[in-house]
Amino acid sequence: MSAFEPITGRYVTITAGGRPHRIYFEEAGQGQPVICFHTAGADTRQWRHIMNDAEITERHRIIAVDMPWHGKSLPPEGWQTEEYLLTTDFYIEVVLAMVAALELDNPVYAGCSMGGRIALQLALNHAAPFKGFIAIEASDYQPAWYDIDWFHRPDAHGGEMGAALVSANIAPQGPEAERWNTQWMFMQSGPGVFRGDLSFYTQDDSLVGKLGGIDTSSRPVHIMVGEYDMTCTPEDAKRTADAIPGATLAVMPGIGHFPMSENPEGFRPYFVEALAKMA
Amino acid sequence: MARADLLPRLTAMGAALETRAHLHRLGALFSETVLIEVEGDEYYLTFHRGALETITPGPSRKIPWRFAIRVDAEALEKFWQPIPEAGFHDIFGFVKTGRGSIEGDILVLVKNLRFFKEFMALGREVQA
Repeated sequence: MSAFEPITGRYVTITAGGRPHRIYFEEAGQGQPVICFHTAGADTRQWRHIMNDAEITERHRIIAVDMPWHGKSLPPEGWQTEEYLLTTDFYIEVVLAMVAALELDNPVYAGCSMGGRIALQLALNHAAPFKGFIAIEASDYQPAWYDIDWFHRPDAHGGEMGAALVSANIAPQGPEAERWNTQWMFMQSGPGVFRGDLSFYTQDDSLVGKLGGIDTSSRPVHIMVGEYDMTCTPEDAKRTADAIPGATLAVMPGIGHFPMSENPEGFRPYFVEALAKMA
Repeated sequence: MARADLLPRLTAMGAALETRAHLHRLGALFSETVLIEVEGDEYYLTFHRGALETITPGPSRKIPWRFAIRVDAEALEKFWQPIPEAGFHDIFGFVKTGRGSIEGDILVLVKNLRFFKEFMALGREVQA
């Protein structure tokens, strides 16, 4: 008996930034749609443990999306002469285009790190299509404590350097195999992609001072943060949650910046709790 | 105090490094001197192609180094615990928590970051 997983993958072409993008997404389960977005420099594989969780997928259709330039989503035509720099507007366009393309009815949005930042942007400015928001390792603004230009150089492997840097955000308590799998995705990231993601993540401060405008009365916002996250620290997440009336916060001990990937078992109960808050 | 404690551990880390074949590959292009300074006590670690060749205790104003890690003794001891507490689990935690600094040619460190981090983590496995 072959050990097939329940995850299936497909491609769909959407328009964002005025251009077509061939997007890869994976899904498993049925019921309440939950559309999930990965961190900078990574891809849908971060969500595979949740998609392989039969108890979760019994009542939830978990969908994970590779952002353009990431995973198996190709960069747009002409990429070879472009400097990849992600923007908030482009990210939001991709999310909304995927919700429309998949004809998702009242989906929950879940995103980690830069995906968590976008959860807050959506909650503030584009809440209507969504049932609620799970913002993981999310804060209003995180200036860089590193030089993002380190990660795209002709004389060094940006992926390996990126992985070695982000290992600072991985807690030692997770299973060794998953801690290294988490880094593998960064090592595989396309040239300049991690840098381009970080450019958005570390420079966009457009949420600062605006979090109070998020209305959680009909669409809940739940923020989750790992104890060992040195990029978005528990203090950063608490500052963010405190600024959103009605937002809830969970601090996950023994977990870092990549909860669903680095420590699936440790993350699971917190994600189940988050889904329950969206009901 | 810190100096007396640190030299045997750094020496043992160098010996442990010899037994890690994958670190020989990862450190193949790393031939640099690194300064580790703990509360004023200096240790100059000279690596050649990923092997720790010499450890020269300071003080010295004559030994050039490529990058330096300066940290207090308690923070370094916490870093070397088998399961370090949050903020002490990575060398960049010293900077983030304000317990230390990383100075010099940071790009050389970053280019060899996995190698150097794994070398520093060997302190969790050897006897102090």
